[in-house]
Amino acid sequence: MTRGVILFAFNSEKFNYYDIAEFTAKRINHFLNLPVTLVTDEESFPDTDYDWDNVIKVIPDKNNFREWGQWINKGRFMAYDLTPYDETIVLDVDYVVNSDNLLRVFDLYDDFCCHNRADFLMAPDTPQETLSTYSYNSVWATVMVFKKTKRTEQIFRCMEMVQKNYKHYENIHNFIGSIYRNDYALTLALRIVNGHCERKEDYIPWNLVHVGKKTFVYADNTDEFNTNYTIMFDAWARNKTKKEYITIKDMDFHVLDKELFVEMINGIR
Amino acid sequence: MDTKTLIADAKARFNHNSAKAYLTEKYSNKLLVADQGGLWKADAQTIGFLNSFTSDDLVAIDTFNNPVKVVRASLLQILQNTYTEVMNHWHEEWKELESKR
Repeated sequence: MTRGVILFAFNSEKFNYYDIAEFTAKRINHFLNLPVTLVTDEESFPDTDYDWDNVIKVIPDKNNFREWGQWINKGRFMAYDLTPYDETIVLDVDYVVNSDNLLRVFDLYDDFCCHNRADFLMAPDTPQETLSTYSYNSVWATVMVFKKTKRTEQIFRCMEMVQKNYKHYENIHNFIGSIYRNDYALTLALRIVNGHCERKEDYIPWNLVHVGKKTFVYADNTDEFNTNYTIMFDAWARNKTKKEYITIKDMDFHVLDKELFVEMINGIR
Repeated sequence: MDTKTLIADAKARFNHNSAKAYLTEKYSNKLLVADQGGLWKADAQTIGFLNSFTSDDLVAIDTFNNPVKVVRASLLQILQNTYTEVMNHWHEEWKELESKR
């Protein structure tokens, strides 16, 4: 039974996702001791000394835009066909692997799982995200773990269907914002495959931890595999902002702000 | 600039509530144990429940709400070991953070 991780990284005008992916891949090798396959495109892949387990080059769909520019996040459904492993973790490149905790998922799941709840460091009371005011709670495509089975094939095929007919699903569910989100596609795919019910076994039994906006991450030392971070936040009280912080160690987290992620890895290098 | 200087320069205040939430997030998931075909939480309730029986076998409801037939003593032992190990680490880190200002 082979196990490994797949990362998707396509450089945009604003961000070098390849660099972020290489940083994350090294940490996956170090903390999880798993091989990493990169899905990328010809333009994004540089000359590198890093020894990827596999590099798969595809032609990405670049038709997705956020307020800061092009966001090449489509095609995550391809993980099912592209994975060379029997058991695969699909990770967002901006997920900071900071412990071996993800390995525990292999002991806990049937054939598919992802996070259905997320917490924000420094803002623990933030409500869970929904597709819209009257729609489902969103699950998160940041971490997906799967074995190749008929059911997981259906989940990924369904994600593809939602991606290709996104406008239709946006109209039905009245999505907040019209940019394509893998989280939303996965939410709908899981619901459809599970007969519009929720299946508790499909969820990783702990929360995804986000580092959100107005929050800054500083590595406590310059070691490549540093596990200690200071998280600083601009709290608003009595008409002024005041810095607040906590320190964390040995816990994975997902950095939502790409600029912050780039700053963080530059600080470590 | 190291983070200690950064914190001092920014006059940042340590947020104990967020730190407590972080510790709960980090350690409560470590209390989960997959054993005998079920997923269990090594918490006081489950350990107390298993301890309150004397039979060798027992059907217990796991965290997925599935009834699972288990060898009671074996599961109890695993949960007690997990609880002790995780809670000691949790307490250690909490003491460390509690002293910060």
